[in-house]
Amino acid sequence: MAVEARKIEATAPAPGTAARPRAGLVTTTLLAPPLLWLGVFFLVPVVLIFLYSVNVFAFFPGTQAFTLDAWKNFLDGSPFLDLFWKSIWMSLLVSVVAVVAAYPIAYYIALIASKRKYVLLLLILAPFLVSYFLRLLAWRVILGDQGPINSLLYETGIRDEGDPVRMLYTQWAVILTLIYVYIPFVALPIFASLEALDRRLLEAASDLGASRWQAFRKVTLPLSLPGVIAAFIFVFIPTIGEYFTPVVVGGVEGTMFGNAIADQFGQSLNWLNGSVLSFFLLVVVAVLMSIFARFLTVRRVATG
Amino acid sequence: MATPAMDIAVSRTGKRVLSGWFVILVLFLYAPLALLLLFSFNDNNLPVFPLRGFTTQAYQDFAANPELRASVVTSAKVASIASLGAVMLGLLAAIALVRRRIVGKSAASALLLSPLVVPYIALAIGLLVFFNELSVPLGIPTLVMGHIVLAIPYTILILVPRLERLDIRLEEAARDLGAGWFQTFRLITLPLLLPALVSAYIVAFVLSFDEIVVANFVNGQTTTFPLYLFSQLRFPTLLPQVIAVACIVMAASVLLLIGAEIGRRVVERRLGTEPTEPPAGNA
Repeated sequence: MAVEARKIEATAPAPGTAARPRAGLVTTTLLAPPLLWLGVFFLVPVVLIFLYSVNVFAFFPGTQAFTLDAWKNFLDGSPFLDLFWKSIWMSLLVSVVAVVAAYPIAYYIALIASKRKYVLLLLILAPFLVSYFLRLLAWRVILGDQGPINSLLYETGIRDEGDPVRMLYTQWAVILTLIYVYIPFVALPIFASLEALDRRLLEAASDLGASRWQAFRKVTLPLSLPGVIAAFIFVFIPTIGEYFTPVVVGGVEGTMFGNAIADQFGQSLNWLNGSVLSFFLLVVVAVLMSIFARFLTVRRVATG
Repeated sequence: MATPAMDIAVSRTGKRVLSGWFVILVLFLYAPLALLLLFSFNDNNLPVFPLRGFTTQAYQDFAANPELRASVVTSAKVASIASLGAVMLGLLAAIALVRRRIVGKSAASALLLSPLVVPYIALAIGLLVFFNELSVPLGIPTLVMGHIVLAIPYTILILVPRLERLDIRLEEAARDLGAGWFQTFRLITLPLLLPALVSAYIVAFVLSFDEIVVANFVNGQTTTFPLYLFSQLRFPTLLPQVIAVACIVMAASVLLLIGAEIGRRVVERRLGTEPTEPPAGNA
């Protein structure tokens, strides 16, 4: 999907599909409703969040007046900033492990498993179609103090009953679950880029005396890099703001930045603070996207 | 043709290692779900070994739980309307992006696809603030509006490759024969696009039905199915029921999606427009 996302942007007006004379007006009419929808329900809310974060708008009427205090407090070494860095670290770990784990699988399916290719791909992708909540639930059950792993340990006498291995409600539970959730998602764009690889390049490398490792390092890996980067982005960026996974398997220790945001708008009822955190997250996402998007474009030009 | 490339792609040992890793990963992906299924039939309120015996009690309890059934109905309502909206908006966007030369195309597609990467919590908070500011009461309509935002990029990503493969000459022929643009759309483009539209609808439906982050913030007093399941997690004795329901939904959504994909291929083959390469790898 990620690859196709980039493809849309890459679609230059092909000769056969060049615009007809009336295209301008028609296009505006066609694009207006979807753009308007995202404008109203995404961009306008983003602006509102910003206005809340500087207290131009406030949850309690009558208290609004422009101030940057909440931003200063946040950026001046607040615990929320620490939580943000912890979330970045967790997302980075999740996305790197997911990519490293999925790459050999994508490689295997795309380049080695010739006939059963799409069956194997479906096998890997199918869990992604399964309810997100259900996949979280599975790990909550499995890692629990009263779950199958611990009960098996009691049963075999490895651990005493009442002395479970504590796995649930740790940040490792969150990391493991996120890796589990994202592996199928990561495999798809990597597979797509490897699948698009011109095999003759590998033959040429081989003819010119390259070893398998050299051919992989100099040909296959660089050419599959756009898929790898796309996969990485599509895990790393959304998981920075992960909210629900920590709620289900993370407990207090596994809390992430998204939970802090939710808490500010929920229990703490501090929309000023919450808006600062939300807007900060949106800015980080936008910055990361623009960095990676540029890199993807450069790759695309470089690899023709 | 493939033989030399296969040799350079992997050694015999490498192949063994890779297929071993493949098996491990498949086990990793499926074991948790299989365990969940196993415990849903186990005669014990706790998900523990040793297994006690086979029972379908959890499934019967589910069928008898009115709140749960109500939440399923609510989610189905939200999902059916939201996915209809997302498919219509996604179709418009896809046609414009594929068939027209546009100024600012990349900016437009970046905005349209952005819900794929923006953390849902940020979207959810934005909608909460927005609806609060306009004093829109939270409920099914706000859930639908939010879920359309989330589903639009998916419908676009499904429809764009299909539109790109559609033979533009069919539309041009219709225009040459005097059909107006709407007639052309209704008689040529729409029928050819129908299988992809159905796929997009189903994907959007499943997404909305399963969505919990945005739903958690703009639901008001409405309880969707995932929210209901989540609220029940607080009561450990209800766990088997939650697991049972989740298993039913899992089976249903997988069957639905696979069925739709098979149906789409059959129809496309019959239309004679089946691409030479399967859709998953057409990048």
